[in-house]
Amino acid sequence: MKRLFKGKAWKFGDCLDSGNINGVMAGVDPEFHKKVQPGDIIVAGINFGMGSSSENAPRSLKDAGIAAVIAESISNIYLRTLINLGLPAIECSGISQVVEEGDELEVNLESGEVRNLSNGAARRFAPFSDGTIAILDKGGLIPFLRETLARDEV
Amino acid sequence: MGMTITEKICARASEKTEVKPGDMINATVDKLYIKDLRFAKAEDPKGLYGVFKELLNSIGITRAWDPERVIINFDEQPARNTKRAEGQLTAKKFKEEHGATVYEGELAGIGHNVMVEKGHVKPGEFIVGADSHSCTYGALGCFSTGIGFTETVGVLATGKIWLKVPPSIYVELKGKPPSWIWGKDIILRIMAALGPNGAINRTIEFGGAAAAEISMDSRLCMCNMAVEMVALNAVFPPDERSIEYVKQVCPGGFQAVHSDPDAEYESRRVFDLTNMEPFVAAPGVPSNGRPIGEFIGTKIDQAFIGTCSNARIEDLRVAAKILKGKKVHAGVRMIVTPASYGAYFQARDEGLLEVLQKAKVLVTASECGICTRPSLTSGETCISSGNRNFPGRMGDRDAKIFLGSPATVAASAIAGEIVDPREFL
Repeated sequence: MKRLFKGKAWKFGDCLDSGNINGVMAGVDPEFHKKVQPGDIIVAGINFGMGSSSENAPRSLKDAGIAAVIAESISNIYLRTLINLGLPAIECSGISQVVEEGDELEVNLESGEVRNLSNGAARRFAPFSDGTIAILDKGGLIPFLRETLARDEV
Repeated sequence: MGMTITEKICARASEKTEVKPGDMINATVDKLYIKDLRFAKAEDPKGLYGVFKELLNSIGITRAWDPERVIINFDEQPARNTKRAEGQLTAKKFKEEHGATVYEGELAGIGHNVMVEKGHVKPGEFIVGADSHSCTYGALGCFSTGIGFTETVGVLATGKIWLKVPPSIYVELKGKPPSWIWGKDIILRIMAALGPNGAINRTIEFGGAAAAEISMDSRLCMCNMAVEMVALNAVFPPDERSIEYVKQVCPGGFQAVHSDPDAEYESRRVFDLTNMEPFVAAPGVPSNGRPIGEFIGTKIDQAFIGTCSNARIEDLRVAAKILKGKKVHAGVRMIVTPASYGAYFQARDEGLLEVLQKAKVLVTASECGICTRPSLTSGETCISSGNRNFPGRMGDRDAKIFLGSPATVAASAIAGEIVDPREFL
């Protein structure tokens, strides 16, 4: 996984539950799966991914090639599942104020910073823990466990 | 420094003497709940069983971590689609190969209620479940939260889970709750006060003098709704009422855990329950709650008492009390889906199901039912005792879902519109 990457932003609102995120945001925009490109970034408001723990919704974002989800806040189950699937999920206060749809963003997971290359704004977030980075580096929890359990380190 | 209930359970589960909010812990899980649907088809390489099997093969392990701690429930019987049927078949295959406790047939119902009724939840335990409403068990004084299936595979392989210790919000309940108030009213009021983002990834710890007066069924409802305010978990301190309940359903001992007097909370909120009004949540998100007066006269097409939030014996009793000798309004279909077969059989033995059926209520088998299955078309309105009113949750995105207590649902079903249940009690 890249720790520094750029991508185009798609912007969504508050309190999107996993049922409406399922099918690559189909509940909000049934055509979104046709517009989104691998490497794009989803920017959303509060409580992203609230509701069901079903993995269909986060997996649909992963399968569509989304590079990261950045939201004001993300439900715990949803955030963990995205990371366990190898997709960086970032809680970043104030992000929706500095990003418009179509902006080019640069994300640095190690320093904990999102830069909006289109308007020069930046926002900081809590850098990922070593454990989270290790899971993301391996591409998710299962590949991580495959390696660590084989080495008997868990 | 003192610790909260949640911090003490997190410390014990990770073999530490002390933890504080923000600490990363590697906790050993006491119980793992998995629902049928999560297993998927055995041959599906992206399903729970397929991923788990592939992981075991690749590292040369043959067995799951601890079959004694794995509980599986069939949430929908009979399975109404092939996916669910495949999940149930795979769950049985998993049991044969790895061992687990599986509830099906007349022993099942909705898994969260089965977990509690069958004695799998004890005070002080650290429990995770492959369903978002696994937070329900906190009513018995344990830590419990929902996880996704990838993480479930991790727990099946290692028995452990990484977790950031959450900060706790202390919710003090005081005053004298009136007889017309149930857990659903109280939690809808609390959620509205905290706001949609007010408890995100935090613990809600209930307390205060009025907490002791809240029934177990109402406590289960309140903790069930924790995930609807995007909290990580919710917990009631063990007290005489809950310990008595646990002793009835669980053989063996347990270690009840209490918060220290000098435990630190991120914030404290106080709710006086004296003279409290019934609460209803408007469509959209469950934190849209307001006193019922604002909704009186809203026409309804469907009334539903069910889900892991509210269809326990307390709820079936109040519904029967309100509907006894009455009829559901001609323009309304009312569905009652008991939360477990335990509640179903008790309601039958008490004559409640007959009362409901004579009032033209459609009483269904015990399962998740129309909480997860479409039943509303565009333009229809439902008053539900469930936990979710998101757009499209029960069918068409343009259907409206109001949330209220079973008393509010039953009274509204008679009137054909949302009414104050106090007129019917």
